[in-house]
Amino acid sequence: MADFMTGGNSPLISTLRNIILKWAPLFVLASLVLLFPIFEWLEDFQRGKDHIYLIDSRFFSIRNASRIAVAATPGLMVAIGVTFIIIMGSIDLSMEGTVSVSAVIFAFVFIALGGTLASWAWLAIPVALVVGGIMGFINGVIHVMFRVPSFMVSLAMGFVGTGFALVLTGGDRIRVEDELFRSLLTVRWLNFPIMCYVALLALLVAWFIQSRTTLGRNFYAVGGGEELAIASGLNVSRVRIMGFTLAGIFFALGALMAVGRIGIAETATGNNFMFISITAVVVGGTALWGGIGGVLNTLVGVLIVNVINNGMVVIGLPNWLQDGVLGVLVITAVVLSTNRKTISFVK
Amino acid sequence: MFELKAIDKHFPGVHALQDVDFHIHRGEIVGLVGENGAGKSTLMKIIYGAYQPDGGTIEIDSKSVRFQNPRQAMDNGIGMVFQEQSLIPNLTVMENIFLGYENQFVKFGIINWQAMSVAAKEQLAKVKLDIDPNTITMELSFGQRQLVELAKVLTLEERIEGHLVILLDEPTSVLAEEEVNLLFQIVRDLTKRASFIFISHRIDEVLELSDRIYVMKDGKIVDVVQHDDAEVNAIQHKMVGRDIDKEYYREQKQKPYNSSEVLVTFDNVSLDGVYRNISFDLHAGEVLTLVGTEGSGREGILRTLYGMEQCTSGSVKIKGEKVTHFSATAGVSRSIGYVPRERKVEGIVNGMNVYENMTLSQLQNFRYMGVMNVPKEKSLATTWIERLGIKTPSVYKDCGDLSGGNQQKIVLAKWRSGGSEIILLDHPTRGLDIGAKEDVYEMIREMSDNGIGILLVADTLEEAIGLSHTIMVLKDGEFQKGFDCKPGSKPSLYDLVHHMI
Amino acid sequence: MSFKFLKPYFPWITLVMLTIIVGIANPGFFSPAGMIILMADIVPLLIMALGMTFAIYIGGIDLSVQQIANMITVITTVYLAQFGIGVVFIVIGVGALFGILSGYVTTRFYVPSFVSTLAIGFVALSVAKWLSGQRALYMDATLRDNSFGWMFGKTWGIPHELIIAVVLVLLVWFLQTRTSFGRALKAVGSGELAAVASGLNVNRVKILAFCISGIFAAIAGLMFSVKLSGGDAQLANGFLLLAIVAVLVGGTPLTGGVGGVINTVCGTLIVMVIRAAMVYLEVDATQQQMVFGIILIIAITLTIDRSKLRGIVK
Repeated sequence: MADFMTGGNSPLISTLRNIILKWAPLFVLASLVLLFPIFEWLEDFQRGKDHIYLIDSRFFSIRNASRIAVAATPGLMVAIGVTFIIIMGSIDLSMEGTVSVSAVIFAFVFIALGGTLASWAWLAIPVALVVGGIMGFINGVIHVMFRVPSFMVSLAMGFVGTGFALVLTGGDRIRVEDELFRSLLTVRWLNFPIMCYVALLALLVAWFIQSRTTLGRNFYAVGGGEELAIASGLNVSRVRIMGFTLAGIFFALGALMAVGRIGIAETATGNNFMFISITAVVVGGTALWGGIGGVLNTLVGVLIVNVINNGMVVIGLPNWLQDGVLGVLVITAVVLSTNRKTISFVK
Repeated sequence: MFELKAIDKHFPGVHALQDVDFHIHRGEIVGLVGENGAGKSTLMKIIYGAYQPDGGTIEIDSKSVRFQNPRQAMDNGIGMVFQEQSLIPNLTVMENIFLGYENQFVKFGIINWQAMSVAAKEQLAKVKLDIDPNTITMELSFGQRQLVELAKVLTLEERIEGHLVILLDEPTSVLAEEEVNLLFQIVRDLTKRASFIFISHRIDEVLELSDRIYVMKDGKIVDVVQHDDAEVNAIQHKMVGRDIDKEYYREQKQKPYNSSEVLVTFDNVSLDGVYRNISFDLHAGEVLTLVGTEGSGREGILRTLYGMEQCTSGSVKIKGEKVTHFSATAGVSRSIGYVPRERKVEGIVNGMNVYENMTLSQLQNFRYMGVMNVPKEKSLATTWIERLGIKTPSVYKDCGDLSGGNQQKIVLAKWRSGGSEIILLDHPTRGLDIGAKEDVYEMIREMSDNGIGILLVADTLEEAIGLSHTIMVLKDGEFQKGFDCKPGSKPSLYDLVHHMI
Repeated sequence: MSFKFLKPYFPWITLVMLTIIVGIANPGFFSPAGMIILMADIVPLLIMALGMTFAIYIGGIDLSVQQIANMITVITTVYLAQFGIGVVFIVIGVGALFGILSGYVTTRFYVPSFVSTLAIGFVALSVAKWLSGQRALYMDATLRDNSFGWMFGKTWGIPHELIIAVVLVLLVWFLQTRTSFGRALKAVGSGELAAVASGLNVNRVKILAFCISGIFAAIAGLMFSVKLSGGDAQLANGFLLLAIVAVLVGGTPLTGGVGGVINTVCGTLIVMVIRAAMVYLEVDATQQQMVFGIILIIAITLTIDRSKLRGIVK
């Protein structure tokens, strides 16, 4: 009869389990935030210093939070872009190229039109977004019209993008030194630079698109069952192309943030965005096979990755160890937020 | 009001539809029956715009129309309720209902969820379904989903002026009896506004609901029967082109099994959330059938015995040995064979050829130091192709390109050639045409004669009764009643249904 | 129908066409000596791509190969003095270990291979940085020549690298087409659920596939290290995407079960021809990457066998 008892409890347990799984990425983030100060505390404790847990922490401070936020912003924009694509069950690997091209064109136009936001040079911002959108649009069109898997198209488009940026710059770095534009980083409201608020705004826009517009909901429809969506009369090709275009625009936003943060646009601006953004999306709980997750998950995922990176520096983990620890923690985070009951196999 | 004239459709190598004439009046319910491959689904697809005919015309109210895609068909008032579950599982019910037509709720680019929810409630009321339109579709039962599908198609009522034609493709296959009755009630009520085309393999249901029945065979309409003149046997005769008599299930070949040789013993076995306290013995040569509705735990028992599910309590003995390690690999090594319901997904590997599929479960018999002995594989395949009458151009043919019946024979050949002593059959005749079904029945008898123990989950109750030595009725994961099925003293359908529901 | 029959050969046709086009534009491309040098140059990439083929063939991907190769260059350099040619065994062992680790995380913990292999790659990077002290290391020239000098010699004008490549290709081709492991691999790639239901130990097959990928990445790393006479945690950077491209262009789609190692040989050659073409046709250095990308898109668009993608293209 004991089995009946567990059998009877199982609905409750499974609901609980579902809730835990749903919020797992957030739990992971919270525990990381509480975990790193422990190391600091331990260190000071060993040295016999007075240390009140959390209060004296260098990690757990506004200043460090702002540092994490600044480091996370460009990646967040890129990750948001690719989230839409992953929700559709596709993938976009063109972000490095798109970011580089958008950054470089932005810098050129910005400087050509006067070099300060107070002049017509502000037009460089919409131009950069349009460039990103066009890159994404081309991606989507080739993917849909020629029926080439998105992995391959976007990978090749990434080469084209990086290559094009190289052609434009000839390998040079372009400095963007406008005070007004750099105020994205230099001016702080409530301890956080303006770019964090811009990113927050972009996140809200993305969340709005995801949950309140037809296009956003259609991403989920495509990811949940493309054939069924077609049979329901949905124009899936159009949704896909628009998805890639939207992703391109967010990549361009990421490019603007990256330039704002460093003050330089170059071919290498886009480097290292690809794997880290996709990892962040997955860590946040968006499934690679589509249909599940969203931009808020991505925010959590990006923060997890950046908190890990920042925390390792703060607690003074040797440089060589940091990559490995990141790897192990990423696996742990994904394992914790995977519902092993509902998936039969994983590729 | 809706008419197809002389429709022709070719596929590479197949003349799928020949000269098909079909019409439907306002408010009429028309049945469409035929074996698998008779052309029913092709005809459906032409009607709702997924395929375009190669010849002939489609007319609505005597005006010729042409649909490039399902959307255009919908705009002309033609809607399809799919056989396969066509709702997207990760969306909410209301999103599914209005998928592709969200614009009516969009203002300045923003979806008004409130308005959509209200509208969805109205649609759900039409099918008498009282659920929150915000529910994620995944959480609904199969029956509820079927009704939501109907509700989704019924949005055409508001969208389209004039009369509707609604296609129902096997809508009852996942429904319990009372749900079927409810569905029929709803359909009859809706004939004020819509005509229905009803497709089902349950001929009695078609007979009950339809005003007129089209019978298809080999891509042609072979007969049109009025409701009052319709008779099951005559229709079956037309569909198959021959009689289905009592010998259909090979009852006369049923021999008593060897009750002294026990192959499998289930002793109070449970799997949490699937089935509880199941006990039985399976003997050599016995056909033991598990009967119950969808979700009664039949498949779970099969999968536990095979090793794909680990039971939570109780003991499973196979050939006298207690099973401690559950895995499909271990199941195969205990000489169990499993013929899964999802033939195309779990039965055969699409993309591998005939001999590769047949030896997949017994690679160890065909390798020497890890290297495959292909000639030996091919000769095995040739033997079994001949023995089971598998129709394939060669052993190199990709199994994904073969017909369902031949695929099933290959799956059976895989286990029989590997010497399985216990064979688990999950809906072995699902989706097969009548000829192929008979072949499967013949094989079941043959295996039983050879002393193989068979645990069966049948496609229909008639099949279960016809084939079994023993029947176990399950309900909600619990054992209800056992029946001994000696030829001549078999239980009736009513006996079983009584315990199932 | 004849068109359909040609489909599996599209990558080869592309290769021949590209070669002819480049040859017409610059007949110097056809010189046998030049060709052999080109091919010898591509060998490490080919080896990496061969391993990757197994991961992609089962429907996964292996993003750790570049970091494994990096790590191996360091390991080779550090342990060459101590073990001489015996370092090969360490290399293969470590490669296998990391591959198995990826496979284990993927199959047992249900982490998509895209993430698991990337993460395991980070671990490999850590090992590389730790062992190298984050500096570029150099091999002792005599030690290198004593142990691995044979690798870059020539017999009858054929570089030994090419011979190694041919041997490895034959080995994996045999593995893929003739062994029961190869058969199981195909079953897992084309129909994983059916493979499970047939009683195959699917997890073991997958772990082995990643293991082979790891071993081949390690061998590629060894060749880099010997060729460049040193080790560095960044030595093999830039090869990951090229290896993936080589597999995909060759006609092994990400969905698995189709294509194989011979396709990858073709894909690697296509990559080689495109890159060589830009040198022979004197494409400006800054434009090369863009041109490479564009040609890649065209090549993929022309060659992929859409009938094997089973309906939906994601």
